[in-house]
Amino acid sequence: MKHLITAAALAALAATPAMAGEIRVGSVAGVTGPIAELVAPIVAGRNLAAAHINANGGLLDGDTLVLVLADSQCDPKAGVDAGNKVVNVEQVVAIVGASCSGATNGMVQSVTIPAGIPSVSDSATAPSITDLDDNNLVFRTAPSDAYQGAALAKLAWEAGYRKLAVTYANDDYNAGIAEVFVANFEGLGGKVTANQVHEPNKASYRAEITTLSGGGAEALALFAYYGGSGITIIRNALETGAFGKFMAADGMFDVSVIEQIGAENLRGNLMITQSASDPSNTSYQLFAEAYKSTGMDPGAPYAAHGYDATFLIALAIEQAGAADPALIAAALPEVANAPGEIIRPGEWEKAKALIAAGKAVNYEGASGSVDFDAAGDVPGFYSVNTINAEGKFEMRFLR
Amino acid sequence: MMAFLNFYLIPGVVLGCIYALGAIGISLTFGILRFSNFAHGDTMTLGVYITLSLVQFSGLHPLLVAPLAMVLTTGIVLGLDRTFYKPFRTSPAIMLVIASFGLMLMIRSVIQFFWGVQLQALQTGIQMPLEALLPVRFSENHLLIIGATVLLMMAVHLVLTRTKIGKAMRATSDNPELAALTGIDTEVVIRATWAMGASLAVAAGVFLGLDTHVETMMGFKLLLPMFAAAILGGIGKPYGAVAGGLVIGIAEELSAYPWIGTTPLLSPGYKGGVAFAIMVAMLIWKPQGLFRGRQF
Repeated sequence: MKHLITAAALAALAATPAMAGEIRVGSVAGVTGPIAELVAPIVAGRNLAAAHINANGGLLDGDTLVLVLADSQCDPKAGVDAGNKVVNVEQVVAIVGASCSGATNGMVQSVTIPAGIPSVSDSATAPSITDLDDNNLVFRTAPSDAYQGAALAKLAWEAGYRKLAVTYANDDYNAGIAEVFVANFEGLGGKVTANQVHEPNKASYRAEITTLSGGGAEALALFAYYGGSGITIIRNALETGAFGKFMAADGMFDVSVIEQIGAENLRGNLMITQSASDPSNTSYQLFAEAYKSTGMDPGAPYAAHGYDATFLIALAIEQAGAADPALIAAALPEVANAPGEIIRPGEWEKAKALIAAGKAVNYEGASGSVDFDAAGDVPGFYSVNTINAEGKFEMRFLR
Repeated sequence: MMAFLNFYLIPGVVLGCIYALGAIGISLTFGILRFSNFAHGDTMTLGVYITLSLVQFSGLHPLLVAPLAMVLTTGIVLGLDRTFYKPFRTSPAIMLVIASFGLMLMIRSVIQFFWGVQLQALQTGIQMPLEALLPVRFSENHLLIIGATVLLMMAVHLVLTRTKIGKAMRATSDNPELAALTGIDTEVVIRATWAMGASLAVAAGVFLGLDTHVETMMGFKLLLPMFAAAILGGIGKPYGAVAGGLVIGIAEELSAYPWIGTTPLLSPGYKGGVAFAIMVAMLIWKPQGLFRGRQF
């Protein structure tokens, strides 16, 4: 029933025509697809930011920030469709999203860059997004995997692994992080015995695993989305006895991995890095408290990044003084970076007053400092997750 | 040699069984109703989700509740046929194709709406190979899947050759006008076709769910290999579909075997292209398929 009501409410919302006093921002996310479970908390983070903004004076002259949700399915084609929908039909002035690197690459290259619409992704991490020729329109609050791949390689080395097999799903995110991981692991002196791409969404990976296990690797570094091929590969590897230990990145960070494989099979055998917020950071604590009060878990991957991406777009609209895509794009680095008075999650009223007074602001987000560099990227912070005695993920922040 | 059997051939046969069961339905609807049913994959997904609910409700093994799911899915499919396809019976095939495409999207959305988009499982945990059969690594599920497929195919064979309705189905598939002239009630044949196609699709989906996991796109992802299998075997030929399914399943797995040297013959990243390649090659050189099906 709850689904029904939400769906009816969403439908009613979508049917409302654009009217005065309303500024539309696209919220493009992989609501369905291989990481559906991960996306729900991210969207909740975005919605929380919009709620904070609308409850504390709204945008500009009291305009309401409306997030228009579109499903990018974690797929490049669907990303283009979702981008087209929000840009051409819904006439948004900026976009939060898309969720996956492939969907984001598709959306920005085919739709938003040509249309001149700025986008801030909260979970696209592929290094390739850094190098896009984007007219300074593409930003992200999710750090590039150039950092995560290095962090995971270092962890593998410190855990005592010297020989690893690597496999990655055939998409932008997984190919990107695998490349960085391999380069870093070999840089540390490790040996990659096999490095093989695989096609996601197949029923069996026994053949691939057999080829991978040939070189005497101590563990498998697996770069995949859990719902695409990750879970099947771990299951097949355990069943065939080819690998017992696994390392993975945030595309695999979901409880369904534990639920489907069984905690007893994974305890001590699986290490997953994830882009995380420093729990001792004031900004994070402010966000975590507000997010928890909506009944959600603030530790959910990229939920804080979703909040930050939305909040930043709102700040940029305020700074630009108009709902104009070009001005918003130019204002984004101004509100995210120093110098300026520090603004933390939830402090919308303060930010609005400062901007109205012509003072500079510097948003310090829940996910980190969110200082954009020239490519629109932010520095990364990571945690490593293992499975504890209760069969839950246990997080350790990497400093 | 053992590695070839355990990690390439057996998974290939299991995959082939799943494709084969799904392809029978596609081949029959193509042969009898004269259109390519895009909604077939999502019919499969629907059946799997019904099975999932029955498993959660009863706590029984998925294969035990699957027959009930087949009946329920058949009922739904017959209702859909009445509502969506019947008005188009005399229309050009393209209208039916488009209708099935729309239905595909609708079925999937309904599934996502009621069951959610999360990953689910018919069975959790991992299955080690059966001790008794080592060094041949057969897991219990794989034996069940292959065994159940053989039983289902024998049942299909008996229905098609020994029953009146089965003979009517084959006659309609071979020549619909002649079949109608001889007094065969085409509406009954059509209902039987839907029932058989949907039931086998549910079985295929449940087997896939047992081997991997349950998600809302699972049937759609199988659509291409199932079409390839139906075309390879010959449109309208259920036995052809079985052969085609097995060939494509095994070919996909064996394409990654290190036939020459020690690296996979074809990078596993392109495994999905094997079904495509076989389909295209068949359409160019032997469009009637292995079992001399209808040519379009």
